[in-house]
Amino acid sequence: MSTDQAIDATPTATPLAVRFQGWGTAITLVAVWALLIAATGLYRPDFFAHQTVLAIAFTMSIVGVLAIGQGIIGISGGFIDLSQPACLILTSLIAVRLSEAGLPLPLVFVGAVLVGMVWGAFNATIVVLAKLNPVIVTLATNFIGLAALYLVFQLAQVPNGSEIYHMGRASFLGLPVIWWPMLVLIIIVGFLMRYTRYGRRITAVGGNRFAAQARGISLKKTRFATFMAAGGFVGFAAVLFASAAGPFNPSSASTMQLNVIAAVILAGISLAGGRGSFWMLLLSVGFLSTIPTSLVFFGLSSDTQSIFQGILLMIAVAIDGYRARRGTP
Amino acid sequence: MTDTTAASRTLPGHLPHHPLRAALTGSVASIAFTFIAVIAVGLIWIGPKFVSFGNVSIIGSFLIVPLIVGAFSGFALLAGVVDLSIGSIVGISAAIFAWLITHGWGLWPAAGATLSICLVIGGLNALAIVRFGADPIAATLGMLTALRGITWVLCGNQRMIPAFDIDFFTLINQQLFGLPLFFLLAIVLTLIAAVVVTKTRVGRHVQAVGGDDRAAARAGISVRGVRTAALLLSAVGGGLGGMIYVGQLGSAAGATGLGLEFQVYAALMIGGYSILRGGVGNPVGGALGLLAVAGVANILDLGRISPYYVNIIVGLLLLAAVLLDRLRGGDAYE
Repeated sequence: MSTDQAIDATPTATPLAVRFQGWGTAITLVAVWALLIAATGLYRPDFFAHQTVLAIAFTMSIVGVLAIGQGIIGISGGFIDLSQPACLILTSLIAVRLSEAGLPLPLVFVGAVLVGMVWGAFNATIVVLAKLNPVIVTLATNFIGLAALYLVFQLAQVPNGSEIYHMGRASFLGLPVIWWPMLVLIIIVGFLMRYTRYGRRITAVGGNRFAAQARGISLKKTRFATFMAAGGFVGFAAVLFASAAGPFNPSSASTMQLNVIAAVILAGISLAGGRGSFWMLLLSVGFLSTIPTSLVFFGLSSDTQSIFQGILLMIAVAIDGYRARRGTP
Repeated sequence: MTDTTAASRTLPGHLPHHPLRAALTGSVASIAFTFIAVIAVGLIWIGPKFVSFGNVSIIGSFLIVPLIVGAFSGFALLAGVVDLSIGSIVGISAAIFAWLITHGWGLWPAAGATLSICLVIGGLNALAIVRFGADPIAATLGMLTALRGITWVLCGNQRMIPAFDIDFFTLINQQLFGLPLFFLLAIVLTLIAAVVVTKTRVGRHVQAVGGDDRAAARAGISVRGVRTAALLLSAVGGGLGGMIYVGQLGSAAGATGLGLEFQVYAALMIGGYSILRGGVGNPVGGALGLLAVAGVANILDLGRISPYYVNIIVGLLLLAAVLLDRLRGGDAYE
């Protein structure tokens, strides 16, 4: 285990500039988010209402949990999981069918998460056995998955009055019930990735896979672990999605994909792998989820939402690329 | 030196280079076999109707825009900078062109203005990717989203801009030898692109930059220049595609070109290109990929089978094609 020392050591030895860099991301995100809220509030004081908080929190919950999965793929050097929409719809359908069968809510969660993990294992199998790049593999499985889902169903919805239906409409401490699991999961995963051996091994693989391999970390096992974990988070997000979204069809999740990728990049989780903090996801997801609501208050149509999201994503990746080129982590 | 070459020739499993075998095992050959297989299945299942002028004409008019967009964006793939925003560039080009025509602009000034805007878009892509080193997939995904939003806004509440111009309509939908004129032109364009890629110095520079940018830079090739030019070309292809859609449909809609990038890139990858590493692929292979996918869609359509099977088949073909590319010596992941 002595060869693992450098990877498993606590990050106390990181230079000051590196630690400051992380805070820079956090301060920037908080500042931009606060600016957005202040600007909207000054323009329309009725923005400061409980209704606004609820709208933002609903968007945050699903995007946040999906972003954990996307972040795990990104930080481990798998770049992007483009099959999240297909996996989300598949597991949402599972959640609907399970709750139609009258299963209690915990079992619905277990079922959706397990199916999500199977989906992730399927992706990982192709990546590992055929040695193909995850981007193309997940692009293809998303294609195949969504088409197959269209053959299975056109519209689905959780049964009225079921446990899962009530969960999507209940609130706790003034926020939607489905917001809290997102918060807890991001905090836990952020802790696991930073302070446990497994988390740091995943990050090490993303930073330099061959160096990690030379230190005895199995790349194949890491791929299976990250893809299955990511699939599990998609399955979890699917239950939240199914509970709150109302009727959905196989293409309902396609617009969410971009938000999730943008959130991961804005949080500073490098797509090239190897660095980033999952706690930042709370800020980036919160900021991105505020944009649609703000635009409505500014009287702009929902079409303009994607203009802002797209430009933001471009700026974020340009900064990400510039930092990588400069060599600063 | 002759000793080492002789030694390498006698190695077991290592066959001497032969142009015919290289052609038969190359990426264009495998997509050509796939294409022939698709035609064979069509002939057996649908019958001679499948290759009739009427049916090929229908497939051809659907393929005009994908072929043109594919021929241009193929240069970006070759240079190692994938441009995912092409579908949205087609959309915004159609919307701007239709808007200008309905506001009294002539066809040519409108076309010129539309292409200029597309060049600016390509320039912005190049600024982010080449100047700042942004990841091409993520950056152009952002561009894709932003442009689609602008297209929706331009199309307004009607969700479309009607722009029927009888002269333009007849020009675009002209027939020659029983096939759409622009389909034939798109094939000629593909052949020109293939000659540029394989036979000219410019083409070799593009391949060199995509294959290994550091080696290309050391050989004195301007990596930034080539990549910027490739992204500009890709945007021009999208611009042309959007204007042709306006000619074909007589209007621009908010959803014009939606998802075209996946349709085109899946076919191009089946045809031997790669969206992750540059330097591989050939415009002829890409065009055959588009033809093969369109043939599959047409067979399923004529056979009254759900169109969703097309995407399943495209996905499987895509995986098979990238696997074949890797077995042929492409980069293995890990």
